[in-house]
Amino acid sequence: MSTKGRYGTRALLDLAFHYGEGPVLVKDVAKRQGLSEHYLEHLFVQLMAAGLVNSTRGAKGGFALAKLPAQIRVSEVIEVLEGSPALVQCVDDPKVCARSGICVTRDLWADIKTAMSGVLEATTLQDLVEQQRKKEQAGALMYHI
Amino acid sequence: MKLSTKGQYGARAMLDLALHYGEGPVLLKDIAKRQQISERYLEHLMVSLKAAGLIRSMRGARGGFTLAGPPSQIRLSEIIEAMEGSVVLVECVDAPDVCSRADHCVTRDIWAEMNKAMGDVLDSTTLADLAQRQREKEKSEAVMYYI
Repeated sequence: MSTKGRYGTRALLDLAFHYGEGPVLVKDVAKRQGLSEHYLEHLFVQLMAAGLVNSTRGAKGGFALAKLPAQIRVSEVIEVLEGSPALVQCVDDPKVCARSGICVTRDLWADIKTAMSGVLEATTLQDLVEQQRKKEQAGALMYHI
Repeated sequence: MKLSTKGQYGARAMLDLALHYGEGPVLLKDIAKRQQISERYLEHLMVSLKAAGLIRSMRGARGGFTLAGPPSQIRLSEIIEAMEGSVVLVECVDAPDVCSRADHCVTRDIWAEMNKAMGDVLDSTTLADLAQRQREKEKSEAVMYYI
């Protein structure tokens, strides 16, 4: 998976984590996620075009998720940032190969796509936020022992 | 997240050998013809498959290639690993040292889960399974023509 998919997911997770706190500044996402502001600006423009993120301008401007974190599945995020999770093109577009109708390796790649999509579809940004909070709580506990 | 042609064609070459397992050494040109892969590229793939211990080659008049073991004992994960290197979608899943965020990163957890989903399918599928599915597909195709 490319940096776009990985960093984009983390940027959206950051927005999800701060959902409801008002518009989030690019520089804050950049700082928390260890990503360049320039890269994030570019990424957010794409995410806005895909309807995942809104921006507000002005003094208290910034970015926010366009939907509730519980309404954004990781599958949707990956689809926007990376395209299909299929390992081989023929899975999504049988016309690229004349063997598609009889090819059992294509069936295998399709099974793999289904398995991977299953994981991505079952997880929303809200799930990731909750997992993150649990991790942070567990981390904090460690320091108090 | 795309598999290269090395992995795709390597899997098909191995499937071809599995379908003809027990029939003696298989000629490169026959695999190339049946699988519609160029002989030259196929030679290149066979070198990697041999180096990984998945196939054997025999020289001479009755020379050719065979699987190194029965189809039921060769998993797709082994083939893909031989052709593509490790089957990992995001580096940090197998090598947490590449990223300082590894131990508290929840996106890493989901990449790991996705990777495992892929790995489980590849680990649980043998060449015998694929060969069986191919035979069943061909049978049902044949039936179609008789209706």
